[in-house]
Amino acid sequence: MTLSTLSDWTGEVGTVTIGALKADGGTRSTTVTIGGERDLSFIGSPPTGHRPLIAFELCDDPSLWPAPVTKFLGDRASDPAEWARWAGQEYAPDLIRLFLTSTRRRGFSDFASVTTTVENVLQATGLPLIIEGSNDPELDSEVFRRIGEAGEGERLLIGTAEAARYRSIAASAMAYGHLVIAQSPIDINLAKQLNILLREIGLPHDRIVIDPYTGALGYGFEYSYSVMERIRYAALKGDEDLAMPMISSAIDSLTVKEVREADPSGIEKISVAWELYAMLPATIAGASIVCVRHPSTILPLRAGIDAFWPAPSGGGGA
Amino acid sequence: MPTVTFLPGFRKTEVKSGSTLLQAAQQAGIHMNVVCGGLGKCGKCTVYVKSGRYDFDCEKFGKFFSPEELDAGACLACQTSVLEDVRVLIPEESIVQEQKILIDVMGISTELNPAVWKYALTLSPPSLDDPSPDLTRLLWGIEKAGGPKEGDIYAPLEVIRRIPRVLRESGWKVTATVVLVPGGYRLIDIEKGDTSPACYGAAVDLGTTTVVVFIRNLIDGSIMGVASNYNRQISCGEDILSRVTFARKGGLKKLQSLAAESINAAITEAANKAGVDREHIYEVVVAGNTIMTHILMGIDPAYMIEEPYVPVVRRYLTAAAGRAGLEVGEDSGLFIFPAVSDFIGGDIIADILASGMAESEEISLLIDIGTNFEVVLGNRDWMFACAGAAGPALEGGEVLFGMRANAGAIEQISLDLETLTPAYRTIRHTKPKGLCGSGLIDLLAELLRACIIDRTGRINTAIDHERIRAGRQVPEFVVAWKEETGIGKDIVITENDVKALIMSKASILAACRTLMNQAGITRDEIAHIYFSGAFGNYISKENAIVIGLIPEVPVERITPIGNGAIEGANLVLLNRRKKKFLDEIARKIAYIELNAEPSFMDEYTGSCFLPHTDLSLFPTVEEMLGKCRMRRGVP
Repeated sequence: MTLSTLSDWTGEVGTVTIGALKADGGTRSTTVTIGGERDLSFIGSPPTGHRPLIAFELCDDPSLWPAPVTKFLGDRASDPAEWARWAGQEYAPDLIRLFLTSTRRRGFSDFASVTTTVENVLQATGLPLIIEGSNDPELDSEVFRRIGEAGEGERLLIGTAEAARYRSIAASAMAYGHLVIAQSPIDINLAKQLNILLREIGLPHDRIVIDPYTGALGYGFEYSYSVMERIRYAALKGDEDLAMPMISSAIDSLTVKEVREADPSGIEKISVAWELYAMLPATIAGASIVCVRHPSTILPLRAGIDAFWPAPSGGGGA
Repeated sequence: MPTVTFLPGFRKTEVKSGSTLLQAAQQAGIHMNVVCGGLGKCGKCTVYVKSGRYDFDCEKFGKFFSPEELDAGACLACQTSVLEDVRVLIPEESIVQEQKILIDVMGISTELNPAVWKYALTLSPPSLDDPSPDLTRLLWGIEKAGGPKEGDIYAPLEVIRRIPRVLRESGWKVTATVVLVPGGYRLIDIEKGDTSPACYGAAVDLGTTTVVVFIRNLIDGSIMGVASNYNRQISCGEDILSRVTFARKGGLKKLQSLAAESINAAITEAANKAGVDREHIYEVVVAGNTIMTHILMGIDPAYMIEEPYVPVVRRYLTAAAGRAGLEVGEDSGLFIFPAVSDFIGGDIIADILASGMAESEEISLLIDIGTNFEVVLGNRDWMFACAGAAGPALEGGEVLFGMRANAGAIEQISLDLETLTPAYRTIRHTKPKGLCGSGLIDLLAELLRACIIDRTGRINTAIDHERIRAGRQVPEFVVAWKEETGIGKDIVITENDVKALIMSKASILAACRTLMNQAGITRDEIAHIYFSGAFGNYISKENAIVIGLIPEVPVERITPIGNGAIEGANLVLLNRRKKKFLDEIARKIAYIELNAEPSFMDEYTGSCFLPHTDLSLFPTVEEMLGKCRMRRGVP
């Protein structure tokens, strides 16, 4: 028996394009488009919408980064531009996600460095960029203004807006033409509420990517999986305030006890396993962008996605 | 024994050395605010010891006071022991204040079928030819006067003992009183002469906070007198849980007698106003929540507050009023409303009766809001009910400038959407001291209309306006400037206050929505929303919908029924046939345990938004808010 649910849905996930080519006022060598799904993944019909993409995460202050990655990278970890260039060339992720971890240090005030770092990374890679700024309401306004300004025209995806602090990020995105990650703590209602708040201060839906928050395997991942499914259901049922593509990053994967206490000789293998087995299911649950930090995770994750979403050249069913 | 003198009234009382000032105050008949039940946690029972030796742990409880206050002798009455004669000043705010209590002289229309009859009889004295006993003679007289058959009337010993003297002293002209109780007819009184017009009953709403009494003439149904006062148990803890805790610590007897005292005081006041002799009150009908009625009947309420939350009794109760300590006719009947569960008590059954929803085919939603709320959905064929905690925010608790509905409380407020200047009305038209529930609901709706808060209640500090400021810890909006208030400081509402209010309203809306989902009912199918309780009478229906306290329905479908509990009690007092119906209602209700209902949490989170995450549930509110955003220049 084959189940076909395709015809039942009235809604679809909107599409979002990240990055801007020269012609569109940016400097990216490629852009990516996500979303467009008209069905649940793999329920009796071929996948619809754009294929899931892989974002490689890096940062500008490696002391706040998981040790398995910094050890693997060696000196590269001290220069985010080089980190981005090298990863893009060697591992071919679809996007680079830069965390401005320096802004999360106590007493941060070097706002000029935000501009420099963003500009340097933009120069070092032609991939579309996701930029994560501060997470302190006191700093947000200035940090996001700098990010927005430094990347003007590049159609960056910037994060992370939360219900408690979304105005500065949205303001920067609207002023400089960027997109926003809207994160809520594993709850469909809270996800929707934040999207409404953003809409009501003027950020259109096609510039929002939902981050439903992803717990590491065994640390809440199953809740995240379920919420992603529910968000997708809502979108397919026609709820426009939830009809945005999703980004998933099991950020804690490399800091869980099982990885921290792993035997040094097997650390790379176990790091990859923890990232891979969270991010591959996340694509099935409905995530359009999945994020990893260990470079070695990218290839097996790519192979997994290719296995589920054949014909990589076609960009899915879109 | 040391003497405690309470200022400013100079009330004196003698206590054992080591007694607390709270005990002394209770003994002196002063009802102090004790929100925590005397555990030293709430800081509401502040007093100032002016002279004399006392023991108070400043280290432990000093946090409630400033150094200046401590210098002035500030301490907590519940934590201060008396060592010798002391003079104590009780500030006004530590005394239970007179509150805006709802007394409705409601137009009840019901058949008059009371359970009490008085028969004025002229009996022939016994003789050698007619030697039948006194009691038989009396009961025959009743039967002849149209009353129940002689053999159907039970006569208790206490009454029989009085019969021979009353008959002879009155020259065989007496008035006999008969009541109908579950066991049948019962002779409860015999009086000299004709007292038949003096036939009264009392309807009582025994609330956790207040007691309301109606005295009714049972011959024509008219209202003789009305009175209300505080439930004196407040001195043993303000909320119901602290009362049960008090009962558990051996305080049941005390709580029982305080409940009876509170009812007695209200009955006395109402009787005095009406010129009614309390002895002529033959039936007392009490509607109250399950814990209150347990306590009044001296039944241990302890097992209701712990898993699996079992009341001792659910069916209606009857007893001789004297056995509960009520000072009416010794053998008068006492009728206690049945309950559905520990959380859905007789007060809610009374609400249902008063609303008429159990007799109608149309679907109604009944909401009783207090610190705890109860919601009932249904019609004459089916009913769902649930209960929960809304938190004290809607009653002004846990809100920085929240207060009960006392004099000086802002009860209505609106904002000029251009200048953001508030226009408000206070209770008794005095200078504002704070905001009560209805004012807070108005304010929340107005802040939303003015786009000062977003839908999660966050204050937009980017707005450049003198009334919107960063606050000490969280942003706040100035409702009234220092100069215009009665407390010498700015009255503000903080972002935390707004959040507390949103959480309170969310639990009520989520409860409504959970019942609606359970029954498969949409808001269009709700023909009536009944608000029970004082709260419902004073709040703005429109604003209750704007903030999403209740589902959106056309406002004309919303009816405040006032104090449904007292109304229901009145109905039963006047029409005994309603008593059976109460049990029917109670049986019909399916109780939904919200904690066991998985969708409730989802509904709750969805409701923690103004008015709700699913905007399509509030179409007209949405239209209105859209216009407001346009006007404020927000896209």
